[in-house]
Amino acid sequence: MATVTIADLRKTFGKTKAVDGISVDIANGEFFVILGPSGAGKTTTLKSVAGLVDVDGGTVTIGGNDVTRVEPYHRNVAMAFESYALYPQKTVSDNLASPLKSGRTGKYTESQRTERIDQVTTTLGINHLLKRFPRELSNGQRQRVALGRVLVRPADIYLLDEPLSHLDAKLRAAMRAELKQLGAMSNTTTLYVTHDYQEALALGDRIAVMREGRLVQIGTPEEIWRRPADTFVARALGQPEINLLDGVVDDGRIRLGNGSFDLPVPAGVRCDRADRVRVGLRPCDIHVADQASAAVRGRVVLAERLGRNVELTVDVAGAQLIVLASGREGAGEGAHVGLAVADSDIHLFAAGEGDTVRLNADDSLEVAQ
Amino acid sequence: MANQELLPGQKRFSIGAAAADVGLVFWFIFSLFPIAWMLLLALKNDQQQTTTYFQFSPTWSNFATVVSDKGTQMTSVDFKASLITSLINCGGAVIVSLVIGIPAAYAAGRWRYRGSEDLMFQMLSFRFAPELMVIVPLFVIYNQIGLFDTKVGMIWVLQLVTMPLVVWILRSYFQDLPEDLEQAALLDGYTRKRAFLMVALPIVRPGIAAAALLAFIFAWNNYVFPLILADTNAGTVTVAITKFLGGGGQAYYNLTAAAAIIAALPPLILALTIQRYLVRGLSFGAVKA
Repeated sequence: MATVTIADLRKTFGKTKAVDGISVDIANGEFFVILGPSGAGKTTTLKSVAGLVDVDGGTVTIGGNDVTRVEPYHRNVAMAFESYALYPQKTVSDNLASPLKSGRTGKYTESQRTERIDQVTTTLGINHLLKRFPRELSNGQRQRVALGRVLVRPADIYLLDEPLSHLDAKLRAAMRAELKQLGAMSNTTTLYVTHDYQEALALGDRIAVMREGRLVQIGTPEEIWRRPADTFVARALGQPEINLLDGVVDDGRIRLGNGSFDLPVPAGVRCDRADRVRVGLRPCDIHVADQASAAVRGRVVLAERLGRNVELTVDVAGAQLIVLASGREGAGEGAHVGLAVADSDIHLFAAGEGDTVRLNADDSLEVAQ
Repeated sequence: MANQELLPGQKRFSIGAAAADVGLVFWFIFSLFPIAWMLLLALKNDQQQTTTYFQFSPTWSNFATVVSDKGTQMTSVDFKASLITSLINCGGAVIVSLVIGIPAAYAAGRWRYRGSEDLMFQMLSFRFAPELMVIVPLFVIYNQIGLFDTKVGMIWVLQLVTMPLVVWILRSYFQDLPEDLEQAALLDGYTRKRAFLMVALPIVRPGIAAAALLAFIFAWNNYVFPLILADTNAGTVTVAITKFLGGGGQAYYNLTAAAAIIAALPPLILALTIQRYLVRGLSFGAVKA
């Protein structure tokens, strides 16, 4: 158990800035998720905390001690690697015993080791695999063993690098739930790296969204989801991706799609007439409504059933909107539908090339609630 | 006939494939002929060694003569002793190369630093120049510092042959080894040295076996260095073989062939012993978890 403070961390590989000055404070016992696309510098950040990367600048503090130049084996952190990194020449049992035999994680007798390993393997349901070699395991089993090697020893911090990324969708959902229920996880400060926004939202006490070596936004899952700091964060979360439409402010409304339909300017946004803005609408926030009463009307171009939901591509005056409708609404291709969006679900971003910042006032979350 | 249905697994006869087979057979005969000829030669007696091709009365006596006192008298070199010397020289060179070369290869495979590539190239460049180019200065130096005709001197000069081989082969093995494995060991609480010994080393064992065998063969077959830098004390089997050619007197090709066959046995036995590792060494990559 320990706090982690990363201050102005920098690491360059050749000409690539893998980590470009990130700072974050992680509280004792917090489950902190770093979310970002591949190449964002997530793993480098994690390995910097572990001491596996010689950082170019900045400091890493664990439990109040500056460990920036401390060897990994003196840091008392445990890490699960994306590649699992199980020792191929050792059995599962020996893999799990490895951290207990090094002498740096505490002294254990043979029976204490067996007891600890037994406890962990029971929790993870891998009791029957102890005598096998890593090559004889499925990816899901390897992942559990890798996790077991983390949990088997007491550590100040757990570092988990995409531990679920190689699993199939069903197993991933199951493991996600299991991870959350693990007692050790909830007591120990955990840094969790992922590119899967669902994992981040489901597991994290707080989430840091990372892009090109920088932290774009840090916040609770609620904050990240409801108040994305810019279009990058907005697009990173949610599947299908958020709809982004360019518009012009006119008389308290935003004119969109050739000016043929409009939405109200959300409360607390200061913008003037004729300002160019970008509107973000999450597909799940758009509801299919009665055609007559709805302010926005369109024609369904494509309807894809995704089990419980139907993903509709709706043409609204030349703009294509993705709408996640419940399967029961039954809007088929070619149908004309009305669309409704709550005012509080309208995200407003600055206009411009690339990713742009959020314009909504910060209190909109409270308004929404 | 041509349109006849084929059974599963049956292939249509093709001229090209048959020609390729015939070509391969010829190549096989061509490449194995020197070895076959050496075997035949080793079985001929003194009278028939230069007068017959394939028809002669075979005898095993040449092998006995080579290792007997009679052979020693003929060449003034004890062939058995030279075999032992070769084993010591080449074994010593390989051990030195492994002890120094494995850590060197690991460092070269794991870390890039200023001039690391130059250093590796420099090491390989020892192999560019023909040995004959450096042999005269080496001979002078060895004479002056008293290393001429010593086993230490031979081991020293032979590791020049084996070291680049070991380092270059093993470097690629260490490069292929995922760094995560040693990093996991570091986080398990092991020092870098123990992480290397516990994780990296056992995994590249097949590579070490392959590199060691190749190095041993190269050292074993080396002729120029022992010819010039050694005499009766540190002379190797490669030099001893040629003594049967008589050096101006009567040339015993049959004895030379028999000696060469005996000399080929130790590397062959070594290769067979570590065959299990060799196959795995050559199919590396399947080891990755």
